[in-house]
Amino acid sequence: MREKVIIRVIDTIGSNLCIASEDGQKVFDKTVPLLQTGKHVVISFDGVSMLISLFLNVAIGQLYGQFSEEEIRDQLEVTGLAGEDMEILQRVVENAKRYYTNPEKYDKVWATLEGEDEE
Amino acid sequence: MQEKICDIRSDATGFNALAALSEKAKALLFEKVDLDFQDCTFFEANMAAPFYAVLTKYYEGMNVVTPTNIRSDIRTILQKNRFLCELGFCELHDSNQTTLPFKRFKLTSGEQFSDYLDQYMHDRGIPKMSDGLAKKFRQSLFEIFQNATQHSQSEQGIFVCGQFFPKQHRLDFTIADAGIGIRENVRRFWKNEKISSCQAITWALQGANTTRQNQPGGLGLKLIKDFLSLNRGKLLIVSRYGFYKFSASGESCRKLKDDFPGTCVNIELNTNDTNRYTLKSELTSSDIF
Repeated sequence: MREKVIIRVIDTIGSNLCIASEDGQKVFDKTVPLLQTGKHVVISFDGVSMLISLFLNVAIGQLYGQFSEEEIRDQLEVTGLAGEDMEILQRVVENAKRYYTNPEKYDKVWATLEGEDEE
Repeated sequence: MQEKICDIRSDATGFNALAALSEKAKALLFEKVDLDFQDCTFFEANMAAPFYAVLTKYYEGMNVVTPTNIRSDIRTILQKNRFLCELGFCELHDSNQTTLPFKRFKLTSGEQFSDYLDQYMHDRGIPKMSDGLAKKFRQSLFEIFQNATQHSQSEQGIFVCGQFFPKQHRLDFTIADAGIGIRENVRRFWKNEKISSCQAITWALQGANTTRQNQPGGLGLKLIKDFLSLNRGKLLIVSRYGFYKFSASGESCRKLKDDFPGTCVNIELNTNDTNRYTLKSELTSSDIF
């Protein structure tokens, strides 16, 4: 059976607020080498009092840029999130999958768009 | 010199007035400026946040700003919410406890913003909301606050202020900065100097768009819109020349006459909301990944 490693978010970022992208990056940086070595990683949000999508985009969404959906599904687990926060995570993951399917900008028309004159 | 201040509400007229006031600061250096409130009969307290963003433009030119002729009722509310303390007035006790006071934060102050919400959202005149509603509201405020810390480049920081209007069952919270605006971020991202403020706001609000390089993101405002749609609340985003508003009945963006100095987001929460936001979701990691 594969070794399970628990990353406690509040210990990793030194706070119970999951709001800053820099803190999300700390969780991401800790997770990546563990996944690369084939470990089963549990990201534990126990004790977290506030969580926003900005943090999850960096901590978890970004993983889809380095690992396949199969690898993540097989090796990653998240615990300690309330139901409504799991729904935010679901939105973040759907968004990340879309983003990395087409990391080129979605709509190139913006590069040539001309709007109303402003100073 | 003297600048007249008219009524300031959380609407296009109010923001046009603030943007015009900001324009006038552009040419001023080392002046003594009296802000004459004689014609101001109404000042929505939460608008202190964008008002301060405008004042920073006067301070950049080393101008000295003094408010004059403020009606006593307006002066009282702006002393209660501590905005006028920034301009030399004393603080008045907020006996009704309906204000979330004006405060300036540095761009690195996420934790202090949390302390601020802890201090002023509990056990005050602000109505007891369900745990789920209060959590969604706080999450929305953090999304906006953190967006400002990430993207605004506001050297003067972030300005916040809130006001509960008990009769209307409405809680307005406003977060403003004196930064480069959404337009500048989107223009840089697309290397297109012709994108307008409204186009930039529209882009930022579309699903997953973000100006962060090589990272997924951009969900925050979408989540807030979904929440406010259920709550029957309102969202206002003013950034440079763009004035965007959203409610359950629709959304629109129009051009302001002048350039608002930065970005201001106002969330209007319907405190009468009885929806349940706490979910006993059956979702597991394997469902999500």
